[in-house]
Amino acid sequence: MSRAARRRAATSILLGATVALLLLWVFPILWAIVVSLKGEVEVLAWPPSVVFAPTLDNYADALAGRFSILPNLWSSVVIATVTTAITVGLAVPAAYAFARLRLRGKQTIGFYTLATQMIPPIGLLVPYYLILSKVGWLDTYQGLITVYFTFSLPFAIWLLVSYMEDIPHEMEEAAFLDKAGRLRTLWYVILPQVRGGIAVTTVFVFLNAWNEFLFAVQLSGNTVRPVTVAMYNFVSVEQTLWGKLSAAALVAMLPVIAIGFAAQRQIVKGLTVGAVKGGGRR
Amino acid sequence: MSAGGRVSLRGVSKAFGEVVALRDVDLDIEPVEFFALLGPSGSGKTTTLRLIAGLEQVSEGTILVDGEDVTDAGPGERDVAMVFQSYALYPHMTVAENISFPLRMDRVPKGEIAPLVHEAARRVKIEHLLDRRPGQLSGGQQQRCALARAIVRKPRLFLLDEPLSNLDAKLRLETRVELKKLQRNLNVTAIYVTHDQEEAMTLADRMAIFLDGAIVQVGTPEEVFERPQTVAVAGFIGSPAMNLLPGELSGRGVVVAGRRIELPRPPDASSGPVVVGVRPGHVRFDPDGLPAVLEVAELLGETTLLNLRLGEHPIRMRVNGKVRAAEGEPVAISFDPVAVHLFDRTSGQRIATD
Repeated sequence: MSRAARRRAATSILLGATVALLLLWVFPILWAIVVSLKGEVEVLAWPPSVVFAPTLDNYADALAGRFSILPNLWSSVVIATVTTAITVGLAVPAAYAFARLRLRGKQTIGFYTLATQMIPPIGLLVPYYLILSKVGWLDTYQGLITVYFTFSLPFAIWLLVSYMEDIPHEMEEAAFLDKAGRLRTLWYVILPQVRGGIAVTTVFVFLNAWNEFLFAVQLSGNTVRPVTVAMYNFVSVEQTLWGKLSAAALVAMLPVIAIGFAAQRQIVKGLTVGAVKGGGRR
Repeated sequence: MSAGGRVSLRGVSKAFGEVVALRDVDLDIEPVEFFALLGPSGSGKTTTLRLIAGLEQVSEGTILVDGEDVTDAGPGERDVAMVFQSYALYPHMTVAENISFPLRMDRVPKGEIAPLVHEAARRVKIEHLLDRRPGQLSGGQQQRCALARAIVRKPRLFLLDEPLSNLDAKLRLETRVELKKLQRNLNVTAIYVTHDQEEAMTLADRMAIFLDGAIVQVGTPEEVFERPQTVAVAGFIGSPAMNLLPGELSGRGVVVAGRRIELPRPPDASSGPVVVGVRPGHVRFDPDGLPAVLEVAELLGETTLLNLRLGEHPIRMRVNGKVRAAEGEPVAISFDPVAVHLFDRTSGQRIATD
């Protein structure tokens, strides 16, 4: 086989593998889309019908019906947005301190910050339930936000530390010599260069808060009920409303997809800058 | 323009944990002087520069700038500008934004910034690049941008940490000349760290030689080259390095490789073991001289560098033009007695001969 033919063969194998993996990932979503467009009877038909009259009834029901998820979407937006804002707002200065300041006990603090991530979340469910019920924060925004925030902050700090450590020290020293103090250096020199990292962190924290189910189902109630829990309304002992459940799930995916797209440009931008000669990846 | 910029270090030491980087350094740098800190890597020259900049804190001693004690002042309070080896340009800012950064941080009124930026860019010939980002510049242009950022504020001290080492050889020679002109025009004190002795010799008004965390000699390039104070300096300065041979001093002569060389003037010591230093240019062919063997001849263009062996000692000799002797052939050499340097073999200190 010639070299060109070998390269073509290798390319097609890689392409095939990529498509296969993508299908594996996309199939459940495609399935959900198809189900969301079917009537209740058609959903249960066996073998599954390929040709059917698509209907938007499920979407209408999920959004405006008896179990409308709109209030729950709003709850999720509030919870995920506030959690993300607080987490990133605190993680950025904390990460800078870990990456740059000479602090006593930094290693120890760093270790214990990370150590909180080693506890299986399920083990914290009962303690959190008891604490929140004692302070009267069950079924409140502040209750869920506090819980999510404690999970996401250590993770966000460590993600951002790695981005900040990539910035050459000299860049910062140059700013100090130019009479920018620590805060202005952080604002004008460091933050613009870790925009990509902040974007990645924001997306991850938002996703985690948005998709969380385990704690939400226990700690929320009728007042504050995130969409992940509300979808459960379509599942009952007598029947599962697959069409409406799929429609609700797809609607709940949209904000996440939108944020992913919005952040993508920042993430890519974060990868293409870099000016220190021989300087590393950024 | 600031005519200040006198720097004094008094008993300055710096340790990083257990490692002593700098030991008891005393140094005076005069206003508007181009002063080089020269030494091999790890000799403490960059540490000294960073201490002057305020990027490191001294372990002991004091640093004065224009008589003012700045030992505990932060880097932003010393009115110094620095060009880093890596240039440390801000990648997310344009060239103009990079150059204006020190002015913006110094809260210079908005209207005054643009003319100052253009003036600095003009001095280093990058006016046409002001809208580019550092990533779109060549190495030489990045270096100029870093220079412009350093001079725009008209600091009283201009610190340069091996600023030419990332440039290719041709550009380095050109930039060297421009750097010297720039410093003269700006009338500012420049402190220049380099491990390249040629750079230091050509640029500096005076220089300090660093070895193992201490200054071993301060002087003009001529002084350091012609009268190295220790064996270590003698071996470090000059390219190729000075030939250093064991000898025995007795009276007005010194015995090297079994042959006595009469010195033109009586040395400061009368007898004892010494190290005899001779620069490669001061070794000559002499039919009555010491028997040596030519090992390798390197043609350098206008001169040829001969690597000889005198007994067990390698000797380097520089001659004009080509040499006809074949490699492996015996030759006879002698040393120019006027150009012989003597050092005490135990202390390594220079023995004066004039």
